[in-house]
Amino acid sequence: MRIFALLIACLVALAAAATAAARTRATITVYAAASLTDVFPQIDSTPKYSFGGSNTLAAQIQLGAPADVFASANTTLPQQLFQKGLCSQPVVFTRNTLVLIVPKSNPAGIHSVYDLTKSGIKLDVAATAVPVGSYTRQILKNMALTSVLGNVVSNETDVREVLAKVALGEADAGFVYSTDAKTVPGQVTVLTMPAWAQPKVQYGICVVKASANATAAQAFVNEVMSKTGQAKLLAAGFLPRVKPKK
Amino acid sequence: MRRALLAGLVFAAAFAALAFLALPIVAIFTHVSPGKLASQLSNPVVTDALVVSLKTTLVAQALILALGTPAAYVLAGRRFRGRSVLVTLVELPLVLPPAVAGIGLLVAFGRVGLLHTGLPFTQSAVTVAVAFVASPLYMRQAIAAFEAVDPNLVAASRTLGAGPVKTFFRVVLPLARGGLAAGEALAFARGLGEFGATIMFAGSLRGVTQTLPLAVYAEFNVAGGFTIALAISALLVLVSAALLITIKLVLQWQPSRRTSPSRFALSTSG
Repeated sequence: MRIFALLIACLVALAAAATAAARTRATITVYAAASLTDVFPQIDSTPKYSFGGSNTLAAQIQLGAPADVFASANTTLPQQLFQKGLCSQPVVFTRNTLVLIVPKSNPAGIHSVYDLTKSGIKLDVAATAVPVGSYTRQILKNMALTSVLGNVVSNETDVREVLAKVALGEADAGFVYSTDAKTVPGQVTVLTMPAWAQPKVQYGICVVKASANATAAQAFVNEVMSKTGQAKLLAAGFLPRVKPKK
Repeated sequence: MRRALLAGLVFAAAFAALAFLALPIVAIFTHVSPGKLASQLSNPVVTDALVVSLKTTLVAQALILALGTPAAYVLAGRRFRGRSVLVTLVELPLVLPPAVAGIGLLVAFGRVGLLHTGLPFTQSAVTVAVAFVASPLYMRQAIAAFEAVDPNLVAASRTLGAGPVKTFFRVVLPLARGGLAAGEALAFARGLGEFGATIMFAGSLRGVTQTLPLAVYAEFNVAGGFTIALAISALLVLVSAALLITIKLVLQWQPSRRTSPSRFALSTSG
């Protein structure tokens, strides 16, 4: 009987917490690439966020997930949604670069991307369908290093899983965005990749057509594109949405 | 009149509950034509995942049987201080969120973990994850099955000159067989469906660590992979249903229930 009372008390506490959370005003839901996990709440802390692999989020939106805004780590996925009439015409809101990271302890002694050819290295990457996974394969192809894909130990579902497994020291190396590496200072060593080999990493954002709060959703997009939004992105290490002319 | 209304309400609630449970299962099979589903099963992604799943599940079940059976026997036969703590420990993985199990395995067996093994990302890591989450289902049932064995029969066997080992194999094991088999089938089904701990601890690599549930998730994330994900799901539904039916059949001809009904499942703690 006492256990029963305890259970009920737990349920009541949970319900109270839930109603307290729901009391805040109705908010929009933003589906955003995992690499935006830290910076988007800095730009606007009011929306509900769902971070994940952009491809997963796009698949969920196609199946009717209640997203108001879709921010992807590439332009292909929002463009596909646009062509299917599921979201507005996407605009590029920021850019990024790819880096190679190794744990601070560097158990495999990797000091350049060419060390990845050593056999037995545990290289962690994102799956091909994830934008960062596709960029990873592009950069390796540009450097004629596709053979290192033989050292891949896991195809993760988003960039933050790669980051976590390298930061933890379980994987010897992994490809992430330079902005991801900045979120775990002291845990990983960043090996920059040459500019000539970099793929074109552009982030696209669009308003989901099925959104019930299209105005608020568009306001969020405007906020991201605004001077303050862009400044927050730059501060987090993202690149200006338009490549500055030299 | 009120009684009829009440009966109607009960039936409506029952119908709602059953429909709710059946709907997702039905939808998996009706979303695309059965022929299209079946044709996806020959896709190399599916066959690779099937091989990984079978290999890791079978090894994990062998481990569970070999180590879990003696452990369950010890816990069932003895009353000692801290027993209920141990039983709770055995049952804990059952209710732990799989992500917690994954984190636990990483910090226990990871390169930077307690034991400093190189287990993560290997096929053995999948086996370990499956064994961790599935073993409580077997051990719970095994403890109950051993407790249900009539101690008089064990005592009789001993007074008739059989040693403890012979008694275990000739008396206890045959009597507990039904319960053990049912527990094992449940553990097998749970192991086959393991997802969260595996993806965190072992990662996902086709042909190495990508099991059937991981392949469902990976294919769901690939453009055009949805039908393959559906096909694997359908396969897992069928296998899981077959396992559940097996359990029911096994429990029906379980002999230990009939040997000593008065002593059945008499447990003082746990």
